[in-house]
Amino acid sequence: MFHLEYDVMVVGGGIAGQETALNLADMGFKVIIIEKEASIGGKMILLSKVFPTLDCASCIATPKMSETMRHENIEVLSYSEVMSIERIDKKFKVKILKKPKYVREDLCTGCQECEANCPVNVEDQFNFGLVGRRAAYIPFSTAIPKTAVIDIENCVLCGVCERVCPANAIDFTQEPETYTLKVKAVVLATGFNLFPARKKPQYGFGKFPNVMDAMEMDRLLSPTRPYNAVVRPLDGKIPENIAYVLCTGSRDITAGNPICSQICCMYSIKQAQLLMGALPLADITIYYIDIRAFGKGFEEFYQQAKDMGVQFVKGKVAKIEEIKETGNLIVRYEDIEGSGGVKEAEHDLVVLSVGMLSNPEAAGMFKFETLELDEFNYVKQVDPLLNPAKTNLKGVFAAGTATGPKDIPDSILSAGAASAEVAAYIRSIK
Amino acid sequence: MKRRIGVYICHCGGNISDYVDVKKVREAVKDEEGVFLAKTTVFACSDSSQKEIIADIQENNLDGIVVASCSPKLHLHTFRSVAERAGLNPYEYVQVNIREQDSWAHSDNPEKATEKAIRLIRAGIKRAIEAKPLTPNEIPVINGVAVIGGGAAGMRAAIELSDTGLNVYLIEKEHFLGGRIPQWGELFETNERGEVLIERLYKEIVKRNNIKIFTGAEVESFSGCVGNFELGVRIKPRFVKRDFNCKDYEKILKECPVEVEDEFNFGLTKRKAIYKSYEKAFPEIPAIDKENCTRCGICEKLCPESFDFNQKEEKLNLRVGAVILTTGFSPYEPKEGEFGYGKFNSVLTLQQFRRLMELSNGELSYNSKKIKNIAFIYCVGSRQKDGENKYCSRYCCTAAIHTSLLLKEKYNDIKSYHLFRDIRTYGKQEILYRDSCKNGDIYLKFDESNPPIVEKNGVDVSVKIKDILTDGEEIEIIPDLVVLVTGMIPRENGGLEKIFKVPVGRDKFFSEIHPKLRPVETVINGVYIAGTGQGPKNLTETILSSLSSVAKAYSLLSSGTLKLEPIVAIIDEEKCEWCGNCDEVCVYDAIEKKSENGKEVAVINEALCKGCGSCVPVCESRAIEIKGYTNKEILGMIDGILKEVNR
Repeated sequence: MFHLEYDVMVVGGGIAGQETALNLADMGFKVIIIEKEASIGGKMILLSKVFPTLDCASCIATPKMSETMRHENIEVLSYSEVMSIERIDKKFKVKILKKPKYVREDLCTGCQECEANCPVNVEDQFNFGLVGRRAAYIPFSTAIPKTAVIDIENCVLCGVCERVCPANAIDFTQEPETYTLKVKAVVLATGFNLFPARKKPQYGFGKFPNVMDAMEMDRLLSPTRPYNAVVRPLDGKIPENIAYVLCTGSRDITAGNPICSQICCMYSIKQAQLLMGALPLADITIYYIDIRAFGKGFEEFYQQAKDMGVQFVKGKVAKIEEIKETGNLIVRYEDIEGSGGVKEAEHDLVVLSVGMLSNPEAAGMFKFETLELDEFNYVKQVDPLLNPAKTNLKGVFAAGTATGPKDIPDSILSAGAASAEVAAYIRSIK
Repeated sequence: MKRRIGVYICHCGGNISDYVDVKKVREAVKDEEGVFLAKTTVFACSDSSQKEIIADIQENNLDGIVVASCSPKLHLHTFRSVAERAGLNPYEYVQVNIREQDSWAHSDNPEKATEKAIRLIRAGIKRAIEAKPLTPNEIPVINGVAVIGGGAAGMRAAIELSDTGLNVYLIEKEHFLGGRIPQWGELFETNERGEVLIERLYKEIVKRNNIKIFTGAEVESFSGCVGNFELGVRIKPRFVKRDFNCKDYEKILKECPVEVEDEFNFGLTKRKAIYKSYEKAFPEIPAIDKENCTRCGICEKLCPESFDFNQKEEKLNLRVGAVILTTGFSPYEPKEGEFGYGKFNSVLTLQQFRRLMELSNGELSYNSKKIKNIAFIYCVGSRQKDGENKYCSRYCCTAAIHTSLLLKEKYNDIKSYHLFRDIRTYGKQEILYRDSCKNGDIYLKFDESNPPIVEKNGVDVSVKIKDILTDGEEIEIIPDLVVLVTGMIPRENGGLEKIFKVPVGRDKFFSEIHPKLRPVETVINGVYIAGTGQGPKNLTETILSSLSSVAKAYSLLSSGTLKLEPIVAIIDEEKCEWCGNCDEVCVYDAIEKKSENGKEVAVINEALCKGCGSCVPVCESRAIEIKGYTNKEILGMIDGILKEVNR
């Protein structure tokens, strides 16, 4: 049940937040997770398979989500935001805003009748706009909690959902609720933002239909994929010649992000391998600056992709143009390893391997003291070598990509570290 | 009584259903004897499916469930917990693996894969019919953790374990703590010096009275079970008393006649038989290197109160609830002649070069030659095309570039050439690469099949590279020093993987159970791995894994008790005629001889038994069975698989 006092508040219910909460809960601490979306899961649950083991992301993420939800020491508050965090003595007073779902979570069974009957069609944010969703909807098939939410911005208030709901769970009288919690420690697991590919206009994302970003491709490859096939957005044609443009918005001062995102090389290699399976006849070319296959098993995974026939071309892509008649794309690049000079190649689908940007939201939660960020707007680690989860604020810790780009294994290790640091901290203030 | 078993066939998104016709499977098994309902499900492990299974069990009074999905390694516990939450005994649940052992293995033959799935599930149903409820044994656990390896990872883990209230034994093979970190000088990313960081850790450790340090100590035996391990530790004599307080230490150092290679400086200097690994090494008393000391007695004459040459090797037994292995790495040792190593004087490894920087005062010189140009050759001992080390060592690109930045800062006039394959300054480390380029460092890229050639050129050494970045042109550099950027290999640890029975991967590093689900756990429950013994890492990543292992160890031991898996061997004492066969094959020493009513019989120590089943087939009187895998269950499964086959 929902209480007002917890040992730890974890902000963010992605993989790092869940792992931190589960570790702390297993140690016997009472934890509350505040998740701004209607479901926990973060970015990982939306992925297809994950490198370098090619486990399906759902197989790893859903049981963790389920365990998080049912753990006796964890409470999850979804569709909720932290309004303010204030230090009072050795504890924190936290104000939470719970947004109305217009659905009673205690009654909703997740049957999706409301969704089936809702007349509204808007872009589905969990499929990155590849398909539509209704105004009354369940975020995605593996959502937790698997209850509906009504997107009131787009709702036409027709009342159909209310009439068809067999559980009488629809409640348009719901208002935003605020809660005040007391917690001993805070863990910021607020994750990252994807680099918006539109910020590299020379690549034509949003202008040329057959230029997509890698998150869209991951959705096309995932088990809960929208079309059950990999197709070109323009005409639904099966692509035969796919290009990946690495470092889209990473290692790029002109895009305002000079650092490396640490995941794009590997997820592109992963997608290339999955595409080789899904479309055995397709050619895949990866344009890269350096291939950064640095983690355990990564280099071997890279070599495997080479052996499977993925083409790796060293060269930064300068520009992408569209051939009007076919929708195919001309990729202009410097051919460094080949004969040199500027070259052009035609592809029928281009995937932009977009990187990570910081999510500086956490800084705004502290109204009475300042959470320090680093020069790239990630939460600053004040002792990265020995206390990697520690921030400049006592009792406030960070996990996962809140402190900088990380892949899933590193996010999970950082969550483990944060939970150990929090456990020691709480003992020290007793 | 008619059984009421629920069968769930998972699509696993498409991982199974792309190859196995799950609908056909459902049709084929729904009328099997004992089956009450059979369903297909997109993700059996998802929260909504779990809820559905629980509701099915409760509404229909199911008395057993079978989930045909992935390997039990992934989700056995997930579904046992489903059974438990629905009020069933968790051991009345049977998992059938139709992914790893079927759909993935037979993706080329969907028809046969479907048939195999049907047969495997029939076997699972038979097993569920014969399954008996089992109850885990609850045992008290020991509040203590042994940390093996006293480098940064081990020291950091010790502090955090202590702060969670656990007793810690920090066991270091060398006479001094600190591992590799003090050898390094300024560390990326804060430029804190290695020995300062170790001092910071050591001061925290000595503040805590629940941490016991053993140096010169090696684990030689390991037994028991999770929560109740016993470690045999051998401690080498130091010959220096704990209260060492000799004013003539400097003089002793001068007069000790023995000189051996100083491993701390990777052979660049010599040390005496009495030594500290470095000046401010911890513990702060010197040690005498037993192997090389000639017992000349000079030191003892100068400070008779400080030495004790009668010290003998000590042995002690430690009882702990969990173990963390933090055994670290060694730099790859290039082969004789590999890029001129060992052949030409001016070829060093990066690790040696860092020591050279530390040992230099004022200007940087080597063999009395001032260093002005340095060629760094990357990926030495890593990403090997033909050699054994296929892996990337992860830290070396950043380490080499960080080194060149330090060079620029300290000696403005040194020029660095970087001969690389890919620059892997991932994440924020990219900024170092950018700064190095801004400094005017030269980057030249080579292909794995065309590595640089290091050869003699008159009195100098020349390095030739076919540089991909300038259209494959051959470029010759005449550097004052060639620095081989060598990667990581696991540090020699006296065969701990055999003592602890923890598997190592093809890369010879310790293997975790799963890189995402259980990155610091091993197949030996209660034995964790952290730091570079598990795989190459930089210091920050090492500490992340070190603290993660603490989180796991603390979760394991915090409640004071532990539930043990009840799948263990059981002896039918009436049938047992004690022949000793079972005792002979048991690798866990879980079987003892006992006199029972005037008859000698075998008894099982359930805390030690792992339920491996080795003892079952060697028992001549068929007196042994494994709970959860009884003969009835196994024979039932065989019948299930062979249904419709003519006998």
